[in-house]
Amino acid sequence: MIRKKILLIGDFGVGKTSLIKRYIDNEFSDQYKTTIGVKISKKLLVVNSIECELLIWDIEGATPIKKIPSSYFKGASGAIFVCDVSREDTKQNLNSHIENFLSVNPSSKYVIAYNKIDLLSEKQQLALEQTLSDNDFMTSAKSDINVIKLFKVLVKDMLL
Amino acid sequence: MRNIQIVLNAILSKNIFEYILVDTDLNVLESSSGVDRYLNARPKDGDDILEYIPEFVGNEDEIKKIFVKRYCLFTLETVHKNGYYLNISIEYCDAQTAIVLLHNVTAITINQQSLLQYSNESTLLYNTLDKVLNNQNVMIFVASKNHIEFANQKFLDYFDIEDLEMLKNQKLDIYKYINKNIKDYDQLYHYVLDEEREIILKNDVFLLQVSKIEATHNLFTLTKITDISYKANRDYLTGLYRKNYLTEVGEQLIEKKQRFALVVLDLDNFKNINDTYGHLVGDNVLKRFVYLVKQKIRKNDIFARWGGEEFLLLMKDTTPMEIKERIEEIRKDIQMYNFDIAGSVTCSFGIACLKEQEDMDNLLYRADKALYEAKNSGKNRIVFKMD
Repeated sequence: MIRKKILLIGDFGVGKTSLIKRYIDNEFSDQYKTTIGVKISKKLLVVNSIECELLIWDIEGATPIKKIPSSYFKGASGAIFVCDVSREDTKQNLNSHIENFLSVNPSSKYVIAYNKIDLLSEKQQLALEQTLSDNDFMTSAKSDINVIKLFKVLVKDMLL
Repeated sequence: MRNIQIVLNAILSKNIFEYILVDTDLNVLESSSGVDRYLNARPKDGDDILEYIPEFVGNEDEIKKIFVKRYCLFTLETVHKNGYYLNISIEYCDAQTAIVLLHNVTAITINQQSLLQYSNESTLLYNTLDKVLNNQNVMIFVASKNHIEFANQKFLDYFDIEDLEMLKNQKLDIYKYINKNIKDYDQLYHYVLDEEREIILKNDVFLLQVSKIEATHNLFTLTKITDISYKANRDYLTGLYRKNYLTEVGEQLIEKKQRFALVVLDLDNFKNINDTYGHLVGDNVLKRFVYLVKQKIRKNDIFARWGGEEFLLLMKDTTPMEIKERIEEIRKDIQMYNFDIAGSVTCSFGIACLKEQEDMDNLLYRADKALYEAKNSGKNRIVFKMD
């Protein structure tokens, strides 16, 4: 069995912990509880007949005054960058998170989760969809939209 | 090994550390009895440490360097495991052994988490309030005694100020626009508290209101009411400003020490048009005349009707040469225009540029005197009073 480390990275309050909770336990809570430090969740997967233990790092979100320590990034095979579609600044900060991560892990794979899509109207969702590329996903941990697909696409890409 | 055990016992006696000894392949050699509360199980000899501390996955090569480099430390801070927060480090013991220390930092981390939660929730609330304030249709600013401390985006945009930092660095004394005797924002607060006031900023009329938000800070709102007072400031026939409005703008410019010129325009022999063709024809001539002048003036010029066939034009941000050229163009346009029934009409112009220490009344007097000279020297001409 192989072990792969992936990280969820983004600003605080974008729903990183909720995405993991939905993926691992199929649960969701509306109550916001700030993550501090790092917490690892495990998930066993078989992809293309390869048994893989996914180590999902839920790390505390970046705030205007506190960046994510790059020591967390070491040894990661992949990352999910998360933003909150209802907060424009979290979308704008995606690029800097991606740059920081790739500076430590240049060959790592990544996908982007445009989370809390349930907060947008159908028209807004369609407009956003037009701007997304193949590795971008509109997700909702609350409504369970695209969460499994998000992880699946990343893991497949990592194991290629 | 005996020395290590002594050190470990000392550490363990504080009840905040647990340990696991591992070999060069990162397999467990030994562990302290309390590790199971953090790892949910006690590692057995020979177990792979990564089974229990997957936080090391991806860093195996770096960790193994400990045995080569000696005393090299690998640390992960604030790791959440089994309900505890731990700082996990791995350190060289001897050529065959490394020690993994699990440092329980739960108490301090929970306090930090409460602060972080408060800070993050405050940031979200602040961002929301910021958006609310910036989407208001009114200009909002918060001032203490001598300074504006906060302003919404609408206020910054109106005064062409890039951001709050720039606003704080420059002296924008709104109170000076209201009453010369007001010396700071505290006095402005008391002045406006009793009765909301009208204030002219640039070319717009605002309603200024205030409320106290702290003992030291007051919240002022500026609501644009140009539309509300439109009729009050406008001439019914031509739609131009009235003389009072132009005079107020002029006085404000004088107070801000801005230079400008004043032009008095008077249609020649207008009484004859009214007497010959009637007042309706006369009114149409006035409207046509206003249209022609408007084609040649700039957006920031103030054009007003003084009364009858007399008009005023306030021109700022320009040179005497430019003013003269522009007025000459207007004079020619009017002379060339066919006013239908009234036929050909001409206009005389008196121009005066604001002098040092001059007030609005004197400027108007000099411009009017220049017009008088233009009329007396044959009409359909410009007389320019530089001083």
